[in-house]
Amino acid sequence: MLFMSHDTQNASLQMRHYKVLFQAGALEGSEKAVWAGQDVGRSCILVSIGGKNIMLDCGMHMGYNDDRRFPDFSYVTQNGRLTEFLDCVIISHFHLDHCGALPYMSEMVGYDGPIYMTHPTKAICPILLEDFRKITVDKKGETNFFTSQMIKDCMKKVVPLNLHQTVQVDEELEIKAYYAGHVLGAAMFQIKVGSESVVYTGDYNMTPDRHLGAAWIDKCRPDILISESTYATTIRDSKRCRERDFLKKVHETVERGGKVLIPVFALGRAQELCILLETFWERMNLKAPIYFSTGLTEKANHYYKLFITWTNQKIRKTFVQRNMFEFKHIKAFDRSYADNPGPMVVFATPGMLHAGQSLQIFKKWAGNEKNMLIMPGYCVQGTVGHKILNGQKKLEMEGRATVITGTANNVIPHLASTLLDVKLQVEYMSFSAHADAKGIMQLIRMAEPRNMLLVHGEAKKMEFLKDKIEQEVFVRCISCYMPANGETTTVVTNPSVPVDISLNLLKREMALGGPLPDAKRPRTMHGTLIMKDNSLRLVSPEQALKELGLSEHQLRFTCRVQLHDPHSDTDTLGRIYTHLKSVLKSYSIQHVPDGTVIVESIVIKVTSSAEEPNLKVILLSWSYQDEELGSFLSTLLKKGLPS
Amino acid sequence: EAIPQTRRADGPITHWQCSQRRNRQIRYKDLHVFQLEHPTKVIEWTGDKNICVAGYTGSRSEILELLLPLKLYAGENQGLCAERDFKVQHGGFSEEPIESLIHISGTRCVVTSGSSSSTLQIWDIGGDDSDVIKRTGVINLKSTSVKGCKIAPGLTDEPAVLHGSCISEVQLTEIATGRVLYTVAKESSDSVSGLQFVNACVFLICASDGTLFMGDTRDPSTCHYPLEDSKSGLHWAFGLRSDSSQSEPSGCTVARLSSSGHMLLSDLRNLQSPFCQTQLNVQHDASKNDFLNVSWAPVLDRCLSVSGFDGTVHIYNTINWSTEGQSPQPVFSHRGHEMSDEAKYSGSPPVVTTHSWHQSRPKTILSVATDGSLHVWDWVDKITDR
Repeated sequence: MLFMSHDTQNASLQMRHYKVLFQAGALEGSEKAVWAGQDVGRSCILVSIGGKNIMLDCGMHMGYNDDRRFPDFSYVTQNGRLTEFLDCVIISHFHLDHCGALPYMSEMVGYDGPIYMTHPTKAICPILLEDFRKITVDKKGETNFFTSQMIKDCMKKVVPLNLHQTVQVDEELEIKAYYAGHVLGAAMFQIKVGSESVVYTGDYNMTPDRHLGAAWIDKCRPDILISESTYATTIRDSKRCRERDFLKKVHETVERGGKVLIPVFALGRAQELCILLETFWERMNLKAPIYFSTGLTEKANHYYKLFITWTNQKIRKTFVQRNMFEFKHIKAFDRSYADNPGPMVVFATPGMLHAGQSLQIFKKWAGNEKNMLIMPGYCVQGTVGHKILNGQKKLEMEGRATVITGTANNVIPHLASTLLDVKLQVEYMSFSAHADAKGIMQLIRMAEPRNMLLVHGEAKKMEFLKDKIEQEVFVRCISCYMPANGETTTVVTNPSVPVDISLNLLKREMALGGPLPDAKRPRTMHGTLIMKDNSLRLVSPEQALKELGLSEHQLRFTCRVQLHDPHSDTDTLGRIYTHLKSVLKSYSIQHVPDGTVIVESIVIKVTSSAEEPNLKVILLSWSYQDEELGSFLSTLLKKGLPS
Repeated sequence: EAIPQTRRADGPITHWQCSQRRNRQIRYKDLHVFQLEHPTKVIEWTGDKNICVAGYTGSRSEILELLLPLKLYAGENQGLCAERDFKVQHGGFSEEPIESLIHISGTRCVVTSGSSSSTLQIWDIGGDDSDVIKRTGVINLKSTSVKGCKIAPGLTDEPAVLHGSCISEVQLTEIATGRVLYTVAKESSDSVSGLQFVNACVFLICASDGTLFMGDTRDPSTCHYPLEDSKSGLHWAFGLRSDSSQSEPSGCTVARLSSSGHMLLSDLRNLQSPFCQTQLNVQHDASKNDFLNVSWAPVLDRCLSVSGFDGTVHIYNTINWSTEGQSPQPVFSHRGHEMSDEAKYSGSPPVVTTHSWHQSRPKTILSVATDGSLHVWDWVDKITDR
């Protein structure tokens, strides 16, 4: 989690502080090896800007089965209510490592404020949450997890928004979404309070793929750009080569009469791979059937059809003639099809082979070396998918085996574990769409941030990238931060505060002489600052008095200086007059007969005490405007008079 | 009507699919296509799985040490390895464009030269504790050359580099001390096209006019072997094939390639008369002399590769070459760089700037082009891989 707080106590307008605390995202210890440090982790970032607190994403850690899977919200609340502390929550996209803790936060910890997300994310997010809840609670029997009702209640708090639509959260806080690629509905968010702004990328992709476009943002020059850096040290193999290998493997298997099982998550890569296979089948005139496991994926395809405007240009263009998500070759799967002879390709959920249809089909096909399993994403430890990807060839399967005892009518179901031989071929392919080092640099050039904050990465391995970003020629004076888990980063920004200056005041400045103002150099001028109706104006003191209906008050300083001087009071005053005349040559100094010396607004008198005639007390008095001269004279006279 | 449109937009994948449909043949065992931010002229191996690349365009350039895609090293478990990306392991900034870069074997040190520079730069490419490549020193040169200085690593225990931009300036310098260990005593202002040690003492220099020089660090004199009918105006590159089983120079074959596609193969025992001469069927464009490259396969017997004429890398098997007769046919031609996206947008076809054989995988080559594309490919031999 990232925590930024804005120091409102600071009187100076130029100094603003963000405190950044990074809590989640990076993985620790041995698990890094399991996850390869990518894709997983959980995102939950807190930004405080201009006194507003915004939570960016509310992700779940897929690697934990206990409380550690959710962000520690006590970091934020300090025993208070989340609703009081947070002004809003923003969800970047529907992946569970970005939205999985949302019902927990809103319903179990307690948050009633607005939650912003794009329309597709709003539609898809609850499906994935419910799917995950089912697996966790119904299948694994875990407790302390949110319920279906909680997901529903949570989604009622969601405010959907469109791309490039500026949403006014309250009078001062506004947010705006930009296209991020990555998955359907993924967005980057600009958060703005006054002249200060932060951009949060979520996960994004700078290269278009088969169904989505590339991320894009204005040259909005945010104070901070918070970017994911999952692939920051990576030069990615082209999408085209990944697809080529995928098609090659599927084709080879189908050609030799084998069956291909592709376990998928309901959304994301499944649709991309379907488009890919559909076009390939069309082009190659292939006849082997392609099936789609029913349920989730079907519903997901429905959303892709619904949110066609969020896909890439090519799909949108062809939509006029044909919806790319209405597949000609891909048909709904029925469990009886798995036993059909001959080649086929099946997309089935869930993606990690931990339960459900994909696991059932796998059990049926695993024994035949002609078949192939293609894993298009990572698998959590403990799942069948994870074991297979680790090269395990024999799997212990818990399942119901029917052991028949006695007569045919006397069948006793009996829990037993069976050993499954994995003979089919296994291909592990990653299709995740993240920005690599080049993509991050492209986004920096697009947005031109003043500061950069990289999350999800390993700081030790990104020192070079940090140097590279800080030396980027297109951006001036950029600083790059890579906060570790729980770390606080403070970023100083210099927001410019526009002030209107009255014409009278400007004219007076001109009349006072001096050279004409140079646009490139700062110049001091005096006036009265009026802060009213959300604007700042600098006017002459007289005008301010008049406007505000105030009467003028004179402020005078007085000061006594003691001096040993053996002359009479009048003589001492005369000596002071002479001394000042020699020191302040350009001032007009008056010696008034009533026993005072006057310089500008400064009045000087001399008295002596009755007991000690040689100890003179010099009284000085000056107005606030002549403070500088007044203190100069008091200091001068303290030093004594020349003999 | 919708289908042709999608076909057209798909580009190279369509090409692969079409060619697959045509001849039902897969051309590549592995094919990985990458895009570097800045094009490189150098691919230098710094370890079994690591290479260095460096920018040559722009006044500032990056030196990167990359880890090759681990999928290439997964062996029988290739299917279980999803890692097909390059990882940037170390990176640094050079204040000049990098013309050549060599790695000192057994160390974490690389030496670079830039264009119009009077120094060689010495770099520490870093260990596990940091990902930053730092400059650790310089070697001052006698003069500044516009073309840039060519460098070759010494094969002795004390790290040293043989370097020079023209023949008379070639010298051997110890890296740690900057001490000059040896200077070529040949008054020739011909520019150096390439140089390489054959063993600890014997080295070869190829001048850009094709003349070969053979020297020995124990002997100040150098033998030189000009081309018999020197075709004036041509630029020559050379590649040395050293038989690792023999430390004797006799086991070495030198290939010389001219900018118009002449190929000369010579035995080190008789550098004066090439044992094989042929003309490759390649495009000739004098403006691209800079990228001319010929290199011998480290594993495949007597196979060599050429690039620098256009966007292709050709592989030839020299066993079948005869002195007479037609242009030899390549065993394989990689045309992938001509089909990259950048090439389509920029309009000018990219030229392969250099390529390098994988040290242990027999048919794996890394190639880079002027558009910044970096390809790693392992071709399927129509005859042997059946």
